Amino acid sequence: MIELFLAELKRSWIQLIRYSTEAIGGIIITTSIFYGLFLSAQYIAGPGLQFGDRLNAVVIGYVLWTLVLFILSDIAGGLQNEAQTGTLEQLFLSPFNASKVFLVRAIASLTIQITLNISILLIIMTITGSQLFFPPSLLLPFITVLLGAYGLAFAMGSLALLLKRVQQLLGIFQFALLFLLSVPTETWVGSGRVFALFLPMTSGAGLLRDLMARGLELNWGQWAIALINGMIYFSLGLFLFHQAERETKRRGRLGGY
Amino acid sequence: MRVLEAQHLRKTYRYQGKLLEAVQDVSLKLSIGEVLAFLGPNGAGKTTTIKMIAGLILPDQGWVNIAGRNPHRDSRALRSLGAVLEGNRNLYWRLTPQENLEYFGVLRGLTRRTAHQRGRELLERFGLADKRRSTVQTLSRGMQQKLAIAVALIHNPQLLLLDEPTLGLDVEATQTVKQLIREIAAEGRAILLTTHQLDIAEELSDRVAIIQTGKIVIEEPTSELIRQFSGTAYTIELEHPLDAEKVSKVQELGGTLQGQLIYVRESDELYSILDVLRPLPLVKIYREQATLTDIFLKLVRENPLD
Repeated sequence: MIELFLAELKRSWIQLIRYSTEAIGGIIITTSIFYGLFLSAQYIAGPGLQFGDRLNAVVIGYVLWTLVLFILSDIAGGLQNEAQTGTLEQLFLSPFNASKVFLVRAIASLTIQITLNISILLIIMTITGSQLFFPPSLLLPFITVLLGAYGLAFAMGSLALLLKRVQQLLGIFQFALLFLLSVPTETWVGSGRVFALFLPMTSGAGLLRDLMARGLELNWGQWAIALINGMIYFSLGLFLFHQAERETKRRGRLGGY
Repeated sequence: MRVLEAQHLRKTYRYQGKLLEAVQDVSLKLSIGEVLAFLGPNGAGKTTTIKMIAGLILPDQGWVNIAGRNPHRDSRALRSLGAVLEGNRNLYWRLTPQENLEYFGVLRGLTRRTAHQRGRELLERFGLADKRRSTVQTLSRGMQQKLAIAVALIHNPQLLLLDEPTLGLDVEATQTVKQLIREIAAEGRAILLTTHQLDIAEELSDRVAIIQTGKIVIEEPTSELIRQFSGTAYTIELEHPLDAEKVSKVQELGGTLQGQLIYVRESDELYSILDVLRPLPLVKIYREQATLTDIFLKLVRENPLD
């Protein structure tokens, strides 16, 4: 399994470096969009207004959103591309089962996604003057967000296997993701707060805002809830993927596009 | 030793509300060192059968056994299987040949070190060593196809499935791929080959199975099939035209003339006609032999689409 992970790591990094203009373009576009929104918000608020930790909270929501979008297009969009190029069937001819191959692949490409996102985060912090905290404990809620993100990515990957064309769906879905990751549900009260606990990634994103934007300590109780939430979505995503694999093989549509 | 056994495979698809019986009770067997040409018109069920064998399509009924394991139940069966499906689109175009071989080697269960070593050997053997560092997208279609076959062999499988391996290749590349297939079979691997180029199937295969509307209509050793469908007629080619006297004698004996060619229907008549022709110079005498193309067309026409 380690061998497969290292092979996947090599494959993804070679492709990234060989076609680095695509990645650089992605970073420039992503940061430009945020900067445009930032300038608009500054114009509405008027001169002299300080955003304070609210800007920081928005930065975290935005960068998390871009990370989740990368993960989603990596898995669901990747499946669609491989069906087109004919490599998808070769992946299913591996003695490792397909869910395992795709999971190892996702973890290997996470190193790329995180590198790109750290670049985006640093550029945004520089151009907006946002100052974030980076306590080591941020890794814990970050893992819960990743679990939810991979769960959704595998669920979307299931649709990619069954339908082959998911690009339009991904386009619409990204707005729902923006809601999940950037709305500060941690400030909600009452039934809205309870509802937010069931949404994917939202609790983890809220905890990250607490730690990195507001400088608060990690709330272990809330983290446990976020972890359970992440694990449920992750398991659900893998289950759906496994079902979709079986159904696609039954329909004989694995390589078809 | 038997490498592949597929028994009573069936697959039905639902298409626009109708049931389409793509494969109906297909059974195939293949032993080490044997090449089976699996032929049929478009839509006859060849690719569905191959993909059921590879574990990529779930059969409604029947089972597959590759080197003692069912690929639908035990993924270790895939260690004994290599496949090139649908032309040359089985590779990562942004990677080099060496990188593709290493990646797919690990994916098939090799260590990275072994995959690297095997990859280098295969590139040397397939004449691709000088293209080791070029990305796949810059290679010619023939080279891409050779690489796809090399990738399918990286884990040294006993069974190789080749679906249309010469599709879209030029004459030279077709010859190269044909030679490679011959060499791979000579190493003792079992090869299941589908192709529309029947001369290639005739040249390479030990056995032929023809499928039509999901059913196998014939399965025979290639030489036996050709013998069965070949006639008993002979053709004699003369160096010079015959004079009138000899023409009438040949015709009396049952021969038919057309220019410098004499057609003889039965072998009994052959020697009497040769006596008449003695001592005229002959160019050649040959028995009419059916080609796989003739046989294929005859069988497909006799078993029309349902």
